[in-house]
Amino acid sequence: MNYFAGIDIGSTAIKIVIIDEAGEMVSHYIAPTGSHFYRNALDGLMALLEKTSIERSEVKYIVSTGYGRKLFKDADESISEITANAIGAKNLERTNGSIRTIINIGGQDSKVILLDDAGCVKNFVMNDKCAAGTGRFLEMAARNLEIDIDEQGDYHFRARVPLTINSTCTVFAESEIISLLANGHSREDIVAGIHYSIARRIAGLAKRIGIEGMVLFDGGPAVNKGLVAALEDELMRDIIVPDIPQITTALGAAIIARGAFLAEGEKVYV
Amino acid sequence: METERIDRVRKSTINHISMEAGETLKRVEEDFPDNPEKMGYFYDLLRKVYCDRDRPSDRRITIGTTCIQVPEELIYAAGAVPLRLCSGAYSFERMGTGLMPARSCSLVKATLGMLSLVPDFYHDSLKALVIPTTCDQKKKAGEMIREMGIDVYFLDLPSRKDTEEARAYWYYSIKKFVTFLGKITGKSPGRKDLLDAVRLMNRAREEFRRFYSLRRNTPSPIYGKDAILVMNAFFFDEIGNWIDALSQLNNELLERNQKGEYVSQRHAPRILLTGSPPIFPNLKIPLLIEQTGGVIVADDLCSSTRLLYDTVVIDETGPTDILLTAISDRYIKPCTCPFLVENTDRKRRLLQMIRDFGIDGVVYQAFSGCHLFEMESKSVSRFLESEGIPMLYIETDYSPEDTGQLSTRVEAFLESIKQRKRGLNI
Repeated sequence: MNYFAGIDIGSTAIKIVIIDEAGEMVSHYIAPTGSHFYRNALDGLMALLEKTSIERSEVKYIVSTGYGRKLFKDADESISEITANAIGAKNLERTNGSIRTIINIGGQDSKVILLDDAGCVKNFVMNDKCAAGTGRFLEMAARNLEIDIDEQGDYHFRARVPLTINSTCTVFAESEIISLLANGHSREDIVAGIHYSIARRIAGLAKRIGIEGMVLFDGGPAVNKGLVAALEDELMRDIIVPDIPQITTALGAAIIARGAFLAEGEKVYV
Repeated sequence: METERIDRVRKSTINHISMEAGETLKRVEEDFPDNPEKMGYFYDLLRKVYCDRDRPSDRRITIGTTCIQVPEELIYAAGAVPLRLCSGAYSFERMGTGLMPARSCSLVKATLGMLSLVPDFYHDSLKALVIPTTCDQKKKAGEMIREMGIDVYFLDLPSRKDTEEARAYWYYSIKKFVTFLGKITGKSPGRKDLLDAVRLMNRAREEFRRFYSLRRNTPSPIYGKDAILVMNAFFFDEIGNWIDALSQLNNELLERNQKGEYVSQRHAPRILLTGSPPIFPNLKIPLLIEQTGGVIVADDLCSSTRLLYDTVVIDETGPTDILLTAISDRYIKPCTCPFLVENTDRKRRLLQMIRDFGIDGVVYQAFSGCHLFEMESKSVSRFLESEGIPMLYIETDYSPEDTGQLSTRVEAFLESIKQRKRGLNI
């Protein structure tokens, strides 16, 4: 059997997806990036192969994406995470209908991608320089509130009145959260406030290019149901979250790998 | 103590500029195969001025400018030499940071930083500095430069160009400028001086037009980063030497086009660069685009094409007044800088180049804090979208810290162009 892998080396997590010749997902892998991301990515791939009993030689083409894409030498090709995300999202269409806007929040960046009818990237915006309103921001908040990052969603829905977090800067927001705690505000209200703060920032980014059609929200922070609800409020529309929102981009890379392999095959016969 | 300290800062800044320029030149020369041989003149010139501090030794009076709206022929006619002082050096930008508001234009900050610290960076004998009243930041920086003890002349420009009043206003402003130049140099330019100067500048423009046309070839015989360097050299190079060097480069490019030699890949996305001007050593965006596989084949930048594209149309037998009218018209009618109100000409010009050069996508650079380019980006983007041309908007400055994010964005933009061309076969 021929298999294809997409490896998304992000700032926080490494995501790997393996698909078969029919383009169906066989299995996936998510683990922290760590400081030795090249080795960790390679270890991840080996673990996934072992789990699925696939031989390394059966993986015919690997496409890397994400921050570490250029340094992952075992890949046959690399592609930007924006294109990979778009192709991954298009592939989810089968279950979710026609996506025209993708909102992606990663470990240290956030982006809004517009797709045309064919699923091509039409336009996109991305935050520059600063990690405000990204996964790092949520991690920092969880640490300061002394709660688990997975609990943030539950806290959100127990809030009575979401507070206002004014600082978008991760460093300043940290002291703002600490002083809100010191003033006796509940963790629930603070968590909801943080979610709305991120959602407002993303909505601002989205307004810069104008949201169209059906909206997909992916990336690690999309597992947080509270953030999803806040984003729906700020955008005033429903959004779709994939079953495993972390791996859309890795899936896109795997699909590109399959496409590239099949195209090479055609060349041989021509 | 104080002077010693300033001296130390000056020395270390000059060192930093030399490193910065050296690094840019290294990328320009070594990261790209197939650079035209005749680019050597321009690489060497930039290296001499920026890295070795070996400045051109012209003994004539030098008049500085901070914008392309200053008619350089008038300066030549008065027996002086123009020198464009707009700086692209990050090390100078850092020196200017304390003098300007936090969110202000890198170019103005760098120019201000340079003049405050090393006013003789290009030339010893800067006699005066001409600042056209275009954007607010350049105007107010002019006041600060005057306080540093440099003779500043504000060349009064109207903020629109489509009325007869504005045209007359500008004409009188130009006449007054000629009088000023006469006082500075001790030589009031006569009819023959003006004619000679126009002919000299038009020679440079003719050679530039040849260069411009040669770049229309598909695939392109030269990278955009080199084209930008050629034009940057015009800022300070002796004009006769520059014309000769470009003429030789043009001959080489013609040969390349005839032999079918080109840079990059045959189907590399053809990019038009617009917005805030890249000036050596700040080639951040051009290098990002071309190292990612795009080729900049055209631009409407005031540090490049807009410098010499338009010519002064003269009636050789006409009187001096008509000659001055021709010059003043040349320096306002074709202008597409966003300081102008009702800047529809910019869109018309972009569309013309998109068609002439077979452009696949436009990259729009705005220096953070340049409100004019930032504000105009929306309307340009909508216009291009209606014409079916994708545009990438990049807000940035001279600092290298956003390079990681920007390279992802540029890469995705080029991928989306390729995808579109292929009609999505993935």
